[in-house]
Amino acid sequence: MSTSRYDAIVIGGGHNGLITAAYLARAGRKTVVLEKRPVLGGAAVTEQIFPGFKFSVFSYVVSLLRPEIIRDLDLPSHGLQILPLESTVTPLDNGDYLAGWADPDETRHELERHSPRDAEAAVQFGRLMHHMAMAVKPILAMVPPDPASLAPSDLKGLLKFAGHFRSLGAERFHALHKLMTMSSADYLDEWYEFDPLKATKSASGIIGTFLGPRSPGSAYVLLHHYMGEIDGAFRAWGFQKGGTGAISESIASAARALGAEVRTDAGVAHVIVRDGRAVGVALANGNELHAPIVVSSLDPRRTFVDLVDKKELPDELLSEVSRYRFRGSSGKVNLALSGLPSFTCMPGVGPHLRGAISISPSLEYLERAYDDAKYGEFSRNPYMDIVIPSMIDPGMAPPGKHVMSIFVQYAPYNLNGGWTDAKREAFGDAVVNTLERYAPNIKSLILHRQVLTPADIERITGLSEGNIFAGELALQQLFFLRPSSRWAKYRTPIRGYWQCGSGTHPGGGIMGASGRLAALEIVKAT
Amino acid sequence: MANGYDVIVIGASADGLVAATALAKAGKRVLVVDSATAIGGESRAFEFAPGFVAAPFALDAGWVPPVVARGIGVAPPPSVAPEFSVTVATNDGFLALPVDASRAATAIKPHSTRDAARWPAFVSQLRKLSGFLEVLYQTPAPDVDAVSFSDLSALLGVGGALRGMGREDMTELLRALPMSVQDFLDDHLESTSLKAAVGAGGVRDLRQGARSGGTTFNLLHYIVGAPAGSVRARSRWKGGWGAFGTVLFDAARAAGVTIKLGRGVARILVRDDAVTGVLMDDAEEIFARDVVSTLDPSHTMLRLVDPVWLDPEFIRAVRNIRYRGCTALVLYAVDKLPEVPGLDSVVSLTPTLTDLERAYDAAKYRQLSQTPHVELTAPSLRWGGMAPEGKHVVVARVSYDGREASPEPRALNPDDDVTARAASVIARHLPSFENSVLARAVLTPHDIEARFGLTGGTPTHGEVALDQILFMRPVAGSSRYAMPIDGLYLGGPGAHPGPGVTGAAGWLAARALIRNKRKA
Repeated sequence: MSTSRYDAIVIGGGHNGLITAAYLARAGRKTVVLEKRPVLGGAAVTEQIFPGFKFSVFSYVVSLLRPEIIRDLDLPSHGLQILPLESTVTPLDNGDYLAGWADPDETRHELERHSPRDAEAAVQFGRLMHHMAMAVKPILAMVPPDPASLAPSDLKGLLKFAGHFRSLGAERFHALHKLMTMSSADYLDEWYEFDPLKATKSASGIIGTFLGPRSPGSAYVLLHHYMGEIDGAFRAWGFQKGGTGAISESIASAARALGAEVRTDAGVAHVIVRDGRAVGVALANGNELHAPIVVSSLDPRRTFVDLVDKKELPDELLSEVSRYRFRGSSGKVNLALSGLPSFTCMPGVGPHLRGAISISPSLEYLERAYDDAKYGEFSRNPYMDIVIPSMIDPGMAPPGKHVMSIFVQYAPYNLNGGWTDAKREAFGDAVVNTLERYAPNIKSLILHRQVLTPADIERITGLSEGNIFAGELALQQLFFLRPSSRWAKYRTPIRGYWQCGSGTHPGGGIMGASGRLAALEIVKAT
Repeated sequence: MANGYDVIVIGASADGLVAATALAKAGKRVLVVDSATAIGGESRAFEFAPGFVAAPFALDAGWVPPVVARGIGVAPPPSVAPEFSVTVATNDGFLALPVDASRAATAIKPHSTRDAARWPAFVSQLRKLSGFLEVLYQTPAPDVDAVSFSDLSALLGVGGALRGMGREDMTELLRALPMSVQDFLDDHLESTSLKAAVGAGGVRDLRQGARSGGTTFNLLHYIVGAPAGSVRARSRWKGGWGAFGTVLFDAARAAGVTIKLGRGVARILVRDDAVTGVLMDDAEEIFARDVVSTLDPSHTMLRLVDPVWLDPEFIRAVRNIRYRGCTALVLYAVDKLPEVPGLDSVVSLTPTLTDLERAYDAAKYRQLSQTPHVELTAPSLRWGGMAPEGKHVVVARVSYDGREASPEPRALNPDDDVTARAASVIARHLPSFENSVLARAVLTPHDIEARFGLTGGTPTHGEVALDQILFMRPVAGSSRYAMPIDGLYLGGPGAHPGPGVTGAAGWLAARALIRNKRKA
């Protein structure tokens, strides 16, 4: 049995794991990252699932990656290159469309076509969201204080937290409170009248959660998606050149340059704990690696239930982890296409194909999609967020051909009767059939179809129940409650064992804040 | 000014009478007016069939915070704790939950031994969580811009109470408030019937389903002040639905308050951004420097006040208050009661939370549920004088009637589908009920709005939702009872702490008024 010694071992080569490793290496720690799959990135991977066609298999757009990480790790010099995603087009059932373009004047004119009032409101709404995102930003960079603790550091943190809210002023604090507690539909009802606009905006509020647009709590996720910033510009979404896997590769490259070792095909069987202290990991192949610091970037269930022996953990933590909710609600359909789809609302090739196509014609459409899922079925007419990365990055597909990425909601992890191959194909059919209503030529273009259910996402990436955020982004699972009230500060009850994944504050999206904050805490403490 | 007062209180509800008494005791000359000919506001009783009386909004007496009773120097009349907190229909009968935790555990045992064992701890934790709200509901809502010493001390008091709960309960409170009642109950219990029994309280007067966020908070809100062990019903007045109202009426009169019933207010008069009095329905003008309205915020600010005096942003905020009444009432006069334990409390005919959720789905699409959630209470079991000898009154709360939200006006039909759908639900669990019905009356949210002047047809004066409570009630920036017109106060359930906390808003509004006058 071979053994090796490191200062720190990071379990999982997703973006957070790689970021933690890069920061630890930057602080001079001899660090190794262990990824079970042959490819790095976790849910941010690029793979050729069909010869000549490259897919961002799971996560497909980026906006939330923290600018300080990009700067600290100098990611652009390691290949980070975000190509802007310029528009969103919502095909309507009457053959018309609703579009949002890169040019604000153009967007305004388009909105005026549907509702002059909404065009007016959109300006103010955008401004408010900007302020709200600014208000939340400092919290994303803050290690959550424990409100029940009397420790000076926690009291200081609480005061800082309270002080931050007071500094916002009453008006913005109240606006933020509404955003944190309302449903996205109710929130948008206060601003807009054109239903497809409300539907398209509220769609970003339901992504990755098991909530409908009318359920309180969904407005916060709306903000979460507004928080994206690329090179400091708020609200912009984009593609990574070469697919999201190239983001992971750029972070891995930065980590290596800083001295970290990155291993693939290196699944971890369990964390070795001696006398209540993590001392290393046992690999699936039987080898052991030793280090005084072991960091798990996996989700809380993997981190606490799968990787360590129950007897090492207090009951309260185990019970909190068992109550922590994953319930993946989304799937993904990736299509290799022989040509470009033609949408009835905007026939032929046009700039709209360089942006997102949102299948969200009305709030009722989304609610009905949710109703199917509530009772254990996939949506017969699902919400879809469609992009064609090869339009922006031609290298993703052979010349003249294209790749299409379809994010689909809702597909419940706990499907009635369970997911089977037949159910997976039926789900894929529902997606393509729905799409065909808006783009009638789609079926004739499909060369290959990959359908991923939440069960597949779990099987391939390890994300429990296929939840893309490593646990729902619901108010009761955020900040000092993510993932557990006592263990929200990247620590665990096992000395030397840490957590750094999206299941910790602030979590969710290709943001990297969890990985960075965890690394900073580890460096400070050890 | 022969017909002048210092303060006019609109509405002879508990809040109105508490406010009036408090103000009179502070030396103000106070007039209470109400368009109804009886006191009680929406909780007043009316005859719905010859010889049969109901007070459908007085079934839950609410909770009278000690600070209110102390503040105006009245002793609340005697009350009785219910024997059962809630009863739920199961597939083969009923599960009745006694308030007494050990008796409840025995009743639960056939459904789940694990839940039976957990029950005492579960209800005691619920009690602690709602107990924190009790602290919060006796003081003005702390806000982020707390500036004065009393604001800060209130804030610290609340913060202290929160931390004083101890780690486990405090964490559970913070975690539970935004949760759906389904998730919350899934975390604590396993029996489907038990979850249905408790969970129905989470959607009371809310256009949300059991899986919607914030419904755990709604559940806790409506059990504030309930006897230990109850997950639903609160204590009721021994002397009848109006017993507390009578005490308040007497106290107000004793304090020198003038009360005029059967006279409604058409307009709140304003000059130079300040209240000057009210214009009555009969065109009489009555002068006063201050007006306390216990009507709902939209009624008060949008119907009684000329909008020229209001900031457009404020009007927009008031327009955005969600009322969305979606509970219809069917009042039955019956010659025989069905044999169900707990019919004097609440009997829910919805066996699972999934059924409840399905009933809710219709409301999302502004429809009436095909299979509505029906809750029965027989007030005549508690109090005499509601029905002729040997006969009874049964009130059915039927949810969801989402049609009220429809932007298109809808024909008002007293023999609405509500009756038929409620009847089919009742028949499923109580087959002989229909034969006992002598007469019935239906109040859809639409009718409730028309009859009681309640915006949206709901007694909540604004949904109890996390974005419409505390410093957000009635609207952000105006949660301290003073409305943005000098001398105008809101002192009803539309202000903090909201519905079911009897007299609290009236008391806190009166206190705010007195304090502001002192400052001026």
